Amino acid sequence: MNPLPEWFRPVSEYILREGVPETLRMAAIAVVASLVIGVVLGTLMTIRFRPLQWLIRFYVEVWRGLPILVTVLFIFWLPAFDVGRHHVQLSAYQSAALALTLWGSAQVAEATRGAVQSIPNEQHEAAAALGFGWVGRQTFVILPQALRRMVPPLVGLLVNTIQNTTIAFAIGVNEVLQAGQRQFENVTSGLTGQPVAPSYAPFLIFGYVALLFFIICFPLTRLAAYLEKRLT
Amino acid sequence: MHVLASFEWSVIWDSQGALWGGFKHTMKAGVVGIVLAYLVGLVLGALRAHRIPILNQLAASYVELIRNTPILVQIFFLYYGLPVLGIHLDVFTVAWLSITIWGGAFMTENFRAGFEAVPQRLSEAGYALGFTRLQEFLYVTLPIGGRIALPSTINSAISVIKNTSLLLLIGYPELTYVANNIQSNTFRTFEMFTALAVYYLAIVWTLSALIRFLERRLALPEAF
Repeated sequence: MNPLPEWFRPVSEYILREGVPETLRMAAIAVVASLVIGVVLGTLMTIRFRPLQWLIRFYVEVWRGLPILVTVLFIFWLPAFDVGRHHVQLSAYQSAALALTLWGSAQVAEATRGAVQSIPNEQHEAAAALGFGWVGRQTFVILPQALRRMVPPLVGLLVNTIQNTTIAFAIGVNEVLQAGQRQFENVTSGLTGQPVAPSYAPFLIFGYVALLFFIICFPLTRLAAYLEKRLT
Repeated sequence: MHVLASFEWSVIWDSQGALWGGFKHTMKAGVVGIVLAYLVGLVLGALRAHRIPILNQLAASYVELIRNTPILVQIFFLYYGLPVLGIHLDVFTVAWLSITIWGGAFMTENFRAGFEAVPQRLSEAGYALGFTRLQEFLYVTLPIGGRIALPSTINSAISVIKNTSLLLLIGYPELTYVANNIQSNTFRTFEMFTALAVYYLAIVWTLSALIRFLERRLALPEAF
């Protein structure tokens, strides 16, 4: 009693098998890299040294100001270049992951700066009184408190990054949307030897792609809202 | 730094006209989308903040559905999926419609949060003056809550403008489409993306400055 048509099974299995892992892996790489770079940049931004602040501010405003698609295309089309003795030519997958990381790290840097500055000054002074140096103060006293406040927005970042992996579609990375598109072309071309899928195929395929994202993102959005509530 | 040394300003110069055309398309879809998204957000945000039965739940489902699926999937669904139902939309219609639907969901949340932040005693004061629910909304909740929500709605408007770049993928000739086309003909990647970045950052940074200005101007007095 399967209400779904015959042709849809291999389509949905392909998207699940090929697209979903690709999307999740890219999102995981981008979020972890964004966290590392963003927390460092955001902490450095709280140091009162103007040139450094301006430099990081510029980084943040550029990468979060540009549409991610523009960043993705730019990195993808950049000609190969040399770093030292290494010849660098980024693949589509790497280009997209890098673009998402530039965007994500800008978001994290700004969130870190806000969270660090929201920690009362007494905490800095108390830590200094205990004999911590700057690095010790940040690592053992300030950041643990600041990061706790950042957890809900970071879950939000994860949701956005998962959704933004679809932008890699533009350069041919086989994430969920691309996998759906390829299957859509497959079943409607008639080239696979199977009978051509009915004209409502795209409705079903893209609806299925949307459903997959919803199943992944909705629990995370609820989690972020719950954490936000518990924090206040 | 071979790339920088061979930077050809003339490439940007020669494509100024084409880029300007793309900018106009970006703004056309963007402005229509933003205006309509504000309308959707105001109405649905008010319905949600006042917990109007059924409509509140419908609006909440709409918001969750849009927020938890990528806008690019929504665009594809409108462009490739809807014709099945006999609804054939041309590229421009999909362009403004998709960003309206997406922006409307985010603005609903912005306005709902703003309206709910209005202190209870103020709306009670309105009712004490004999206001009806509609009057209370129009004269108390809307002016104060709208003021609270304004900066975050502009943030959503910025996102709407940035999302117009995705319309490249359905062939809407906006800025990114034009720049990407020129760079694939001339291989002048660095030059074209520099020009493109200047356009986008000019729009985004102007709106961000507007947010900071409004936040200062519209900040509610401490006593609130």
